[in-house]
Amino acid sequence: MYHGPRVGRFPHRRTAHRAPSADQTNAVSPYYRTKLRGLYTTAKADAEAECNILRKALDKIAEIKSLLEERRIAAKIAGLYNDSEPPRKTMRRGVLMTLLQQSAMTLPLWIGKPGDKPPPLCGAIPASGDYVAKPGDKVAARVKAVDGDEQWILAEVVSYSHATNKYEVDDIDEEGKERHTLSRRRIIPLPQWKANPETDPEALFQKEQLVLALYPQTTCFYRALIHTPPQRPQDDYSVLFEDTSYADGYSPPLNVAQRYVVACKEPKKK
Amino acid sequence: MSELKDCPLQFHDFKSVDHLKVCPRYTAVLARSEDDGIGIEELDTLQLELETLLSSASRRLRVLEAETQILTDWQDKKGDRRFMKMGRDHELGAPPKHGKPKKQKLEGKAGHGPGPGPGRPKSKNLQPKIQEYEFTDDPIDVPRIPKNDAPNRFWASVEPYCADITNEEVRTLEELLKPPEDEAEHYKIPPLGKHYSQRWAQEDLLEEQKDGARAAAVADKKKGLMGPLTELDTKDVDALLKKSEAQHEQPEDGCPFGALTQRLLQALVEENIISPMEDSPIPDMSGKESVADGASTSPRNQNKPFSVPHTKSLESRIKEELIAQGLLESEDRPAEDSEDEVLAELRKRQAELKALSAHNRTKKHDLLRLAKEEVSRQELRQRVRMADNEVMDAFRKIMAARQKKRTPTKKEKDQAWKTLKERESILKLLDG
Repeated sequence: MYHGPRVGRFPHRRTAHRAPSADQTNAVSPYYRTKLRGLYTTAKADAEAECNILRKALDKIAEIKSLLEERRIAAKIAGLYNDSEPPRKTMRRGVLMTLLQQSAMTLPLWIGKPGDKPPPLCGAIPASGDYVAKPGDKVAARVKAVDGDEQWILAEVVSYSHATNKYEVDDIDEEGKERHTLSRRRIIPLPQWKANPETDPEALFQKEQLVLALYPQTTCFYRALIHTPPQRPQDDYSVLFEDTSYADGYSPPLNVAQRYVVACKEPKKK
Repeated sequence: MSELKDCPLQFHDFKSVDHLKVCPRYTAVLARSEDDGIGIEELDTLQLELETLLSSASRRLRVLEAETQILTDWQDKKGDRRFMKMGRDHELGAPPKHGKPKKQKLEGKAGHGPGPGPGRPKSKNLQPKIQEYEFTDDPIDVPRIPKNDAPNRFWASVEPYCADITNEEVRTLEELLKPPEDEAEHYKIPPLGKHYSQRWAQEDLLEEQKDGARAAAVADKKKGLMGPLTELDTKDVDALLKKSEAQHEQPEDGCPFGALTQRLLQALVEENIISPMEDSPIPDMSGKESVADGASTSPRNQNKPFSVPHTKSLESRIKEELIAQGLLESEDRPAEDSEDEVLAELRKRQAELKALSAHNRTKKHDLLRLAKEEVSRQELRQRVRMADNEVMDAFRKIMAARQKKRTPTKKEKDQAWKTLKERESILKLLDG
């Protein structure tokens, strides 16, 4: 159980800022304007205080999560050293999918202060040129299968070697089975924040943009066109996957979470 | 008076986020006592709910800021009616999921039927009524005088000069007085380094050698060798330079005699300018032997070089003799004027700096002293002000008593006298 600090309650201020009930004729006179300004200022201060507390609470949660994540990675590494057989049986498909969905849902939402721009790896904002993914980050990795086919899979970063500029990644499906070593160009880091459509619509992919999206119920990324961007922070993108089995070449709109949609750099399909 | 329909404000309806419906987990957690913790599994839902709250709160903040900005701009440009009415129908009340939390400041306002402002879409049908009221409002409303800002600005500009001294300022002064520690460092004159002509010559030589070595190394690399020339010591370069200088030092015609000796000889020797020297150096020279003192043979005669100390002592003796005779000025002027000028200048400036900084320090001391005095006087003045207030209170009490047509009680009189005396004593302290 986590015994953390108590999140403060917001005082009931239902009537604190009620304007005087004068008739509306004087509503825009200077007196009322000043009064309104004063009320607005107080409201702003209250809103800011509220935002601060909420941010602190969210930060605490993020801290806890990162600690959990560290523990998980440490356990994984320790587990690999300890035993000869895989530490646990390969997860069943359903469990994996639920995990993926949950991870997508709990991706932190980027809520900037007024005047803040969304950072790299928020929604559609790409990572900075020299960004190195940290161990435990999820990425889309282009791997060569045994038959020579290249596929973008969902993978987790294990390590990065500065000397050779290569990442070591694990396929998220079947842990411990397949560890790939890939150069930086074959790795696309997945976003670390969701973009809020109401405050930062420019951090979202727009309609008809070409992206790589995770096909639902799989762990592979495929090319797709954005059909509709999300309307609310919890919504998903609606995308059309390139699919030659359909008449117009595209699948019907499918929902993919913000976490699993990245920009597509391939000029044409192989 | 601006008409209501020109009001650019949108009086937003800030709907609250219903905590119970939208954030049930959050409400539940808050309802628990502090001892019950939060389960790890609840973190995710909590996160989502907190994000919802935060996004609505920050949206509200943005809207409020925009509105305040409009309000400020509007008040500054009172006569300017160019503000367009921003979409009356624009309602910023988002889907019920988002909105402001429990603090419903403006909901109170919105709750009123004929509430303020025309911006709210619900009040559209009230518009004609509002306009009607406007006309009756006119005579009441005072004609707008542009606010006279000048006195405010004046007092604001004068304020820094008349304001009270704070303790922080005194502290800053004290700190300013402190650091002369690193002064000693600044006054040190660095020793003369190598003369720049030597340094440059050295560097040039090094460069050339490096280039040569690099070229050689490139050639060598092809054969798989790394020449030893790549590593150059400054010592080698120095040796090279000295050699070349030494070569230059010798007079071109190889004469070991000092300059004075040569000049003296030249002055005393009668030269036959007409006959060329090169053809018969020996017979010419031998003809003029008798004149010089110790310079018995000319250097051209000799194949062996003269012993150097011999010529040197001759030179110095001639010099002394000439100086004694007054024909030559004593040459004890300092070498390399130019550098000493720099040094002299440096010393002059340092002296100036020292004087100036000493002056500054004394002034700062004075300032600090005055500031401290002023601080104590300020305190006294503050006490005087308080005493004034007390006196005024006593006065008011007595006046009230007099109004009620009764004489003030002894207590009141005593108090009044006491406060008066106190005030006088403080004033005396102040003036004294």
